[in-house]
This record gives sequence, C-alpha cells and structure tokens, in this order.
Amino acid sequence: MPIITLDYEDLEKLTGTDRDSIIDRVPMIGADIERLEENSIDIEFFPDRPDLYSVEGVSRAMRGFMDIETGPVKYDINDSDVEISLDDDIKNIRPVLGCAIVRGVKFTESSIKSLMDLQESLHWGLGRNRKKVSIGVHDLSGIKPPFKYIGADPSVEFVPLDFTEPMNLAEILEKHPKGTRFAHLLEGYSKYPLILDANDQVLSFPPIINGTLTMVDKNTTDLFIDVTGLSGEVYTALNIVVAALADRGGRIESVKINYPGGESKITPDLSPEKRIISMDEVKSLVGMDLTSEEVAGHLRKMRYAASPADTNAVEIEIPPYRADILHNYDIIEDIAISVGFDNIEAIFPSTSTTGEAHPLSLMQDNIREIMIGLGYSEVMPFTLTSEKVHFDNMRRPHTEDVTPVMHPISEDQTMIRTTLLPNQLEILSLNQHHELPQRIFEVGEAIVDCTNKLHLAATSIHALANFEEIREIVDSMMMERNVPYSAKASEDPAFIEGRRADILVNGIKVGVMGEIHPQVILNFGLGQPVVGFEINLDE
Amino acid sequence: MEDLNLTLNEKEALLFLEQKGTASPADIADETSLKIENATQASFLLEEKGLAEVKDEVSEKYHLSSEGTEYAEKGLPERQVLNGIDGPTSIKDLQEMLSPGMVGIATGWLKRKGWASIEKGNIIPAADVSETADEIALAKLGETAVSLEETGIDQKVMKDLIKRKLVEKEETKSRTITITADGQKIAASGLELTEDITQLTSRMLKSGEWKNKTFRSYNIDKPPKKVFAAKVHPYQRLIDQMRQIFLEMGFTEIKGDIIQSSFWNFDALFQPQDHPAREMQDTFHLESRSQLPGEYVETVCSMHEKGGDIESRGWGGKWDSDVAKRNVLRTHTTSVSIKHLADNPEPPVKAFCIDRAYRRETIDPTHTPEFEQLEGVVMDRNMSFANLLGCLKEFYHRMGFENVRFRPGYFPYTEPSVEPEVYIEELGWVELGGAGIFRKEVTEPLGIKEPVLAWGLGVSRLAMLRLGLKDLRELYQSDIEWLRRSPVCKL
Repeated sequence: MPIITLDYEDLEKLTGTDRDSIIDRVPMIGADIERLEENSIDIEFFPDRPDLYSVEGVSRAMRGFMDIETGPVKYDINDSDVEISLDDDIKNIRPVLGCAIVRGVKFTESSIKSLMDLQESLHWGLGRNRKKVSIGVHDLSGIKPPFKYIGADPSVEFVPLDFTEPMNLAEILEKHPKGTRFAHLLEGYSKYPLILDANDQVLSFPPIINGTLTMVDKNTTDLFIDVTGLSGEVYTALNIVVAALADRGGRIESVKINYPGGESKITPDLSPEKRIISMDEVKSLVGMDLTSEEVAGHLRKMRYAASPADTNAVEIEIPPYRADILHNYDIIEDIAISVGFDNIEAIFPSTSTTGEAHPLSLMQDNIREIMIGLGYSEVMPFTLTSEKVHFDNMRRPHTEDVTPVMHPISEDQTMIRTTLLPNQLEILSLNQHHELPQRIFEVGEAIVDCTNKLHLAATSIHALANFEEIREIVDSMMMERNVPYSAKASEDPAFIEGRRADILVNGIKVGVMGEIHPQVILNFGLGQPVVGFEINLDE
Repeated sequence: MEDLNLTLNEKEALLFLEQKGTASPADIADETSLKIENATQASFLLEEKGLAEVKDEVSEKYHLSSEGTEYAEKGLPERQVLNGIDGPTSIKDLQEMLSPGMVGIATGWLKRKGWASIEKGNIIPAADVSETADEIALAKLGETAVSLEETGIDQKVMKDLIKRKLVEKEETKSRTITITADGQKIAASGLELTEDITQLTSRMLKSGEWKNKTFRSYNIDKPPKKVFAAKVHPYQRLIDQMRQIFLEMGFTEIKGDIIQSSFWNFDALFQPQDHPAREMQDTFHLESRSQLPGEYVETVCSMHEKGGDIESRGWGGKWDSDVAKRNVLRTHTTSVSIKHLADNPEPPVKAFCIDRAYRRETIDPTHTPEFEQLEGVVMDRNMSFANLLGCLKEFYHRMGFENVRFRPGYFPYTEPSVEPEVYIEELGWVELGGAGIFRKEVTEPLGIKEPVLAWGLGVSRLAMLRLGLKDLRELYQSDIEWLRRSPVCKL
C-alpha cells in the first residue's frame, strides 16, 4: 500500500489547523501512521482511496472530518479552445484518454514533489503499475495546440526526460531505465502511443516517458495534463490530479477530445454521480438509528453533497475524485466512519446457536492425549520443505504425488510435504545441544495429490533407542485409538532393514515404523540412534 | 540433641573413631564390617553432620629410574667420559670407547657443567671436575621411594634429575578421619547399631519388620533432579483456548483444503483478477488446476465484469475463468469460510476456522511464509456492523483483553471494514486482525441472501505476545528446552 509523505507546513496550511490535532484524528479516517519525522509525517493510506495520495487530498478530507469545512468542494471548469484528436491506430493500443489544462499554478519545490509523488502513487494504486493508468504533466508554455494522440512508428525520435540526445521509440524501450521497466506494457504492438503538438513536437510517449520539452519546473504556471489507459479509471485519476492542483489555487480548463469517427468528449468531467440512500439501508448495515438529517451531516463531513429528501432518504452527490464507491455500502461505510466506530454500540448477535467442534479436531485432541500420555511432546513445524530434505536426506525416491510451488522464495521451501517425519528429524537436529532422550510428535496435515491428509508422526532419540521401543509405542497408540492393526516387514529405505515394519489396517498400509537408517541420521547431522513412526489417520 | 539420623555405617564408623581418635578409611574397614568405599562415604556423611573431620593429604616420594640406578652404580655419562680420558680426545675415538648415544648425552652435559670444552671435534677436559650436587643426590637415592625431607636433596637438583629421567616422582594420597568433640559426645551417648529403613519393601510389609525400625529421613532441602512433562505445544494450547471460546459462543468449527483454486481464494471474494495480492510475488501459485463450481461461474463473472444485477459498478474488464482455475496455497482461511457459506446458504450460520495460511514472505523474525489464521463468520437475518463489533468485543474480552477499540480498515471483500485493536501495557494499541461485512458483490453471486459478518485474526502475532517470543520462527522450529520449561498453566 502506498505510503504518503506529508509536509507539516503544507498540511497545516491546507487543512487550517495544527499538526497535533490532525495526527490525532487521521487514523480514524482510515490510515496507519508509519513514522513521524521532524518536518513531515509518513502515512499509509488504503488502496481504495487514491484521492488521499497527496497532501491536498488529505487536507481536503481532514477539513471535512474535523468539521472545519463540510460539504463538497466546488471546482469550476472553464472551456479552453485546446483540442486533441486520436487516430485509428491508437484505438487498439491504449484507447482511453483524458486531458485537462490547469492555469495559474504557483509551484514550490515541495509542491512539485507532492505532484510527482501523487502521480507515482496513482500509477501504482489505480494504474496497476501504469498498465491501466499513466499520467503525463506538461508545461504548456513551449507547445502549440491542437494536440494529437496517435499510434506512431517506432522510428520516431525525441529527447526523453533524463537524456540529452534524441532517441527513437524502440531505443527508448531498450535503453532508457523507464523504457526497460515498462516495455512489457507495449509488447506485441508494431506502433507505439505518442502525444504530439501542432508542430509535431513530442509531449509524451505513454505509458513510458515524457519529453524534456515540456518538463515542469518552479517557473511553470500553466499545465497540460494527459492521462492514458485502458479503462474508466483514467477519468478518475484525471479528476484526482486536477482537484489537487485546484486545491492549491490552479484554474481548471477543459480539453475537447476528438475521436476518429467524428465523436468527441470534453474532459475533465467533475460532475458528481447522484444517488439516494434510504435510512433503512443505513440502519440495516450500521445497526444504529440515525435521522436523515444526521446522515446528511455525516456525509457532508466526508465531503459529499447531501441533503435529506424526506425523513427516510438522503439525496447525495459523490465527489468526482472518489474511486472506491462501487455500491451504496461504500457510502454507508463513510457514514459509519464519520460517526466513529467507537460510538457505535457493540451488540452480540442474539440468535441462539449451538457450537460444534470439527471431527478432525476432535481426533487430533484424542491423538494429543494419547501421545502425551506416552511421554511425547508436541511440535508444530512448517509444512513447506525441499525435495532435498524430504526425499534425498530420507533416502526415499521422489514421488509424483508431491505439490511443488512455482516460484519458491528459497531453496529450503520448494514444495509442500507429503510426510511429517523429515520435519521431525530437522527439529531433532536443531536440538542436539539439549539433554536426551528427546521424544516428539506432530499431528498435522500433509498434502498428497493436492489433498489434505491428517498424519501422525513421532520420533525418539537417545543412546539406546531401538525397534522394540517404537514397536511398543505404536502398539499402545493403536490400542488407544481402538483400531486393530498388523505389522509387516517394510521396504522403506529411511529405516534399517530388518528393523522396520509397515503398519497395516484391514490389510492396507497406513504407516511405517522402525529404526531410522544410519545414513539418514547422518544426513540430518544427528549423532545418536533415532526411532520413529508415521501413520495416516484418514485411512 | 536433634535427630542426626545416622545410618548404620555412620554409627559403626563413629564408634570406631571414638576409640582411635584418628584413622584412615582402610583402618576403619579393617576393624569394622564396612568396606573401604562405605567407610569413606560414612566419613564424609559424618563430616557433613559435624561429627568428624576428613583431611586429604598428598605426599610426594622419589625413587631412581632404571637409568638412574645404572648411573648411580657406574657414574653419570659425563663422569664416565672424564674418567675414561686423560687429555684432549677426539669424539670419534670416544665413540669407539663408549656407545655413540652415550657420547651424545655426555658431551652435552660436559659442556653445560663446564667440565670440558669442545674444539674441532676434540674434547678438552677442564681442570676442576669435583663431585656435583646431582651426583651426591643420585648416591643418596635408591629404588625405594623416599620423601624430599628424608633425603635432604635440594628441590632444584631433584627437578633436574626428574627432567633427565633419572628419578621418578610418585604421589600418594592419604585420607585421615578425626572425630570431633561433637562426635565424641554422640558416640558417648550410646548408639544402637540397628539399620534404618531406606527403602520400604514388600518383604518388610509382609514380615512386619518395619514396626521395630525407623525410616531414614531424606534431606528435603536438596534440590531434585529436573524431570519434564510431555505436553501439548504452548501455541496449540493457545489455539485450543480460542477454539473453546468460539465453541462456547455457539460457533461451528469448519476445515478445508490447503490447496484452493484462485476462484475460492480470490474471485469468490471479489478480488479483481489484476489485484496485486494475486501476483506471483505475494502468493504461492501451483501448476495444478481446479474444476470451477459450475453453479457460480456465471454469477461471479458477471459481478466482476459489470456488478451483476445489484447496483454496483463491478471491476470492469474481462473476467477470465482460466485465471480462476489456477491453484494456490490458500492465502487466507477466508477461502474456507466463503465456501462453507456457499454450501450452507440458510441462516443462521455461525462458523469458525483456525488453520494455516500461506503467503510468499521471506522468513525473518516477524514474517514466516506460513502462519495460523483465525476466521469467523456470522450469517443471519438483520446482522449489522454493530453486531460485528459485538462479536469482536466479546471474543477479545474472553481472550482477556479489557480495552478494545475499532478503527476503519480496508479489505477488498468487506464494507464496512474495521481493524480491531487491543490495548497492551508497554506496547499501546496493537492491531490484531481485520473484520468487516462481506460486500454484496461477494454474497450475491453465491446465493447468500443475508448479511455476513466476517473477521480474520493473525493468531501467531497474539501467540508471540502471549508466549513472550521475539521471533516468530520459534513457534515452528521448536526448541525442546523451551518446550520443557514452558509451564502448562502459564497461559
């Protein structure tokens, strides 16, 4: 989740109150404070609120939440005569485009950084790493409208940011750090997205890199913003960016987008979506009686436009920068946040029900009682392991019923275990500096052919450990389980020949016991005799 | 006088010492029925009780080695050489006279003692070659060992002789036991020579012999040897405590497979298919595929693509059933509870699950790729957020947390979402899980008509707090000594 750095001075000025009051309340709007620095604070906001990924957005929300200024912020949009046209080629590459012009912005170093951070956070949060949304912000002064958004030949050249010499689009994808990082987004296309001005000067190569021509610095006052992508999130991202710039005093102007078929669209569109919420919905979700007046008040604190339609309904307008409102549920959550979760009376459900333990849990409880009675202590190892430990160390052949993981993190964890004994030998090897005898067991899950199997395994290590000891333990355990069984010579290579036996129930093999093979003992770095058994409890 | 609780052996030894005053264990053994080792043991026990003193002495004695005996007779090699020549003589000639080994030893000592000088392979004897201290000492010693005092030999001279391996040192340890004044008193007071019972036997019970005897007391101040009880793992004990709480609150325990399809792990929970949590770096993906539950595929697809039939926008884009078929190691036990709800759509349902979940995390003190999760769901008519808070508060109170607070949270499949926090001395507010009401986008496609309250709790985090561990790995890589010393009743 994105962590946003907020400059205290900016935050206080834009919110209109002191930092301590803000720090006190900000977790209650839905955020985790990561760390407090001398001049700034790092806060983690949730992925559903990209409108909070800037100091402007946080201040806007906190002004409402702290009752400094409630209701929606009014954003005026003037028409500009700037137009941008799409060509046929771009339709199949990166078809969605939103643009805006913002004039009269006064940048400082910290506000430029804030804008760049917002862009990056939106690329991550809404844009899925630029795939669905990428944003370009340009100094308008050096370029001439109308603009074009086209599918361009890879041989077209321009000077990308961070470079001084012209490069063609193919070279940028190969050599520019941003090009190599995001080249996969354009894989398989023969033409690449490009935004040009009236004189064919390049503004941007979305979603890769802007040109140096339109780089924003402290002297920039008028901006052209392009947002390109694959879906409707493009327009939300544009709204979030222009709202943040307007909060700093910028004047928003619209851009006309002309599509090849003759249709056109004016962006940004900051008109709010309207909804009606009934008090019944609110009551049933929150579990608290609120009047429509109160609900409207809470929603205004969350910066919605809201007014009671009657005693049972509130008419609302959703702020155009909100990306998370999929359903009325999302609006009602905002009401609950404004009320404060701690102000909602916690009521345990009154329906009477009876509890019931799972049969497998009950079986595990019984097994624990038996094994502890026999002097074995419980262990709970990891279930992820490696072929080396699971098969090679055990002198056992690799089997087909195993589940490997596709992208292991380390060579120690490449698969899920099919048996429990190898883990126990590992635990014994970690405990060699402690007094013997050591006797341990585990009742836990193995995964065989993609299915959970409940297994029991136990091991005993000490100087005189021998077959008879484990034979007696298995016999006692099976008697306590009330399961008749028989033993038959085994061929399991993990054990010593002549000192190993399969455990059979109804003539079917369910487990194995015996003296662990000396080579296995050595493979696990152990230096004393070990005996053990393992059975499948499902059979 | 207090009961000194003397054993029969101690009594015998004490009575003997009363007569002799001082004796060695061998003396005691000679004159009583005790063997030497019993006499020694009894002496030490008497000393512990202040009735006798045991004194150990080591005495050193010296005797000639076989080489020493030879030289005592014939003279030291250097003396033999001097005696054999009367002026400068070449070493070569000497070697014909005596053995070459002997000449080697002799020339070394001749030089060191200043009895001769060696020039160009010739030995030139010095003027003064009178008898030296080592020769005198050699003459005094014999094959029988004697002490330094007896011979009057200088310590340094003796040391040199030992170094030359002409003399051997032998150490003898001697032990003497002397009765104390208290011992005298006790012995004088009269001791009955009968044996106390150390171990009650079936023979004694049968014969009634025990009636006429006393039992030897044990020293109850002596710390016992440690033995350790086999036990349930402390972490399992904590898990069982939670299970018990949910059973008492009327919840049914549920279980499910560790390997789940992406459908049940993500799609059924309205996690968009391009959500970062679904990517390779966060989730353990498997090569195997699952069949999709036919009855839900269309409704789930429609919900993802366009918000189904409810007033929702959905995620847009195209929902891919092949992506949903991919198997993963379940990243949360919510995949188990959502499946349970789909299978049991009739209210009320109150279910819980405490089991292992898997995330692709690098192992460090606070992260492990597998960990336990506690999952709870309530599905019933008229359930609200207030009821969710009620369930959470009740559970945390029963776990012993007095102060509970609720903060807004975010989970893709719940709305509203809440992060419960408990107050812990010295740590402040600690987040212990996530909860919320399942979105309609989750419940509708599965035919669940009533609201579902749901929560998930990271059990291992709670376990670290409760068990006082600093490293999560200690839960799974059991230190047997830690297990042995974790009291069952600590939790």
